[in-house]
Amino acid sequence: MQATFTSFYFLCFYACILLIYYLIPKKTQWFFLLSVSVAYYLLTGNGLLIAYPAASCLAAYAGIRVMAGTEDAGKRRLALFGVAAALLGILAVLKYVNFAVNTVNGIAGMLGADEEVLHGLRLLAPLGVSFYTFSILGYVIDVYNKIAVPQKNFFRLALYGMYFPVILSGPILRYREDGEQFFLPHSFNYRQVTFGLQRMVWGFFKVLVISERMNIVVNTVYDNYASYAGLPIWIATVCFAFQLYTNFSGSMDIVLGMSQTFGLKMPENFQTPFFAENISEYWRKWHISLGVWMKEYVFYPLLRTGTFTKLGKRLRERFGKKRGKQLTTFLGMFVLWLTVGIWHGGDWKFVIGSGLLHWFYIVSGELLQPFFEKFMVKFHIAPKSRWLGGFRILRTFFLVNIGFVFFRAESLSAAVHMLKAAVSFRRIGTLTGSAAFALGLDWIEAVIAAVSLLILLAVSLLQQKGSVRERIEKKKLPVRFAIWYALLFYTILLGYYGPEYSAAEFIYQGF
Amino acid sequence: MSREEVFAALNEVFQDVFDDTSIKVKDETTSEDIDGWDSLEHINLIAAVEQEFGMKFSMGQVVTMKNVGEMADIILSQVKD
Repeated sequence: MQATFTSFYFLCFYACILLIYYLIPKKTQWFFLLSVSVAYYLLTGNGLLIAYPAASCLAAYAGIRVMAGTEDAGKRRLALFGVAAALLGILAVLKYVNFAVNTVNGIAGMLGADEEVLHGLRLLAPLGVSFYTFSILGYVIDVYNKIAVPQKNFFRLALYGMYFPVILSGPILRYREDGEQFFLPHSFNYRQVTFGLQRMVWGFFKVLVISERMNIVVNTVYDNYASYAGLPIWIATVCFAFQLYTNFSGSMDIVLGMSQTFGLKMPENFQTPFFAENISEYWRKWHISLGVWMKEYVFYPLLRTGTFTKLGKRLRERFGKKRGKQLTTFLGMFVLWLTVGIWHGGDWKFVIGSGLLHWFYIVSGELLQPFFEKFMVKFHIAPKSRWLGGFRILRTFFLVNIGFVFFRAESLSAAVHMLKAAVSFRRIGTLTGSAAFALGLDWIEAVIAAVSLLILLAVSLLQQKGSVRERIEKKKLPVRFAIWYALLFYTILLGYYGPEYSAAEFIYQGF
Repeated sequence: MSREEVFAALNEVFQDVFDDTSIKVKDETTSEDIDGWDSLEHINLIAAVEQEFGMKFSMGQVVTMKNVGEMADIILSQVKD
């Protein structure tokens, strides 16, 4: 069976699950969801890989039980470190050993070595390993900090760790907020189920109609990047921004919508991030659950370590209170962004494009803030003017797109090559009318893509003013039906089911 | 230390950290009410409060406290005189 939620077989599987879920005794609903989650994981690929999430849940359960049974700080800490070492150890072996090996080989190559110094591992990583590892580890840390209830039942913990809509691409859960609802009885609620299904249709629209079309343009340029310069690179990069956004946020709409049909509320992961006016705001709106995780379990604990506290004190003494505080925060943020980059994948292109480049943006923005303020006073620019807001949105989108070049390019050197070629003004005029369609889309496909993006933009603007589904709900029955069926048929008819249909996998599933 | 004294001292810390002498914190004050109280400044605020009262928040308290009232309660539970 295809792992993607957009496959026909999966949708049949889901329809059966939903029906059974509301027919069985409510006490057994959570166990049914666990069974389904296990079955889903077994059916979606190499079944043996389920040993990984199962082992992580088992390690977490053992640690949690030790912590629940003692007030001894030393034992509790030992249990925490044991679980963290096990979970992060598995993640490191699966995803980062080859990163280290490739880096060493790369350096050796630069120093003149003819052969590989080290050999990488050929391990098959289980789907969604970065997501479930963080959900489980966060829970263990919360139990250690005594802000989450230690789960007594291993199977309940296993459902939290392996709940099938979430395990592949998040959102990253927090047990203290999202965990206990799994075990409550859920009665059939017509409004919840229809709202959930509506959100799923919206997700399918984003993934199948928009993301898949953007994918064609992106692949055309990025898979043959040496042949392109100037405008086509910018077009393909902007298309990639929308591909990634519609793919990832669309998959979240499906996950959250599906969960809503089960009566479960999963955390939001996106909040129209391309409307952000600066990079910090962008990261509060893009992959929200990762940002929250990093803040709570990396950034705050790091800044509260003895070393950082002492360093902060020294920096304040040396550079004054304000600048010293700022420098300490910048150092902490460096570690934070390095971790965010590494989380995205064992490759320098991720470490830079999704990590350190954003750290550089934020730090530069903070340091240049006084100059911007003086500039605005000098040229009489009102800080809250709409034009300035619009300019900031475009500027932030541009900066984010530079990061996306690294994210999508096949390697760090390819990204650098493409960025250089993108500003090669000598060749910028190569894209004329017909050449634009040579990027893989004929004019009908390009029109469908443009109309679909306009629908996305209109809905995103409406979302700024509250729930669109609630607004549609208040309309008269024929209008409601017309809207939802139009979207459904638009998606069914124009969803991209070409030869690359299986490519409708979620991009973030690989993480 | 009375609750009023804790709030008076907290007010000074908040004014100092956020560089705004017009700040007056109440029980129900949250990060929504104060300009600049974002996740980065939160940790600086916590450090400044700890220094002022000579106490330490646990990591759990740092991430779960909902408003200034809860912050004051934690301070009162740790500071005896």
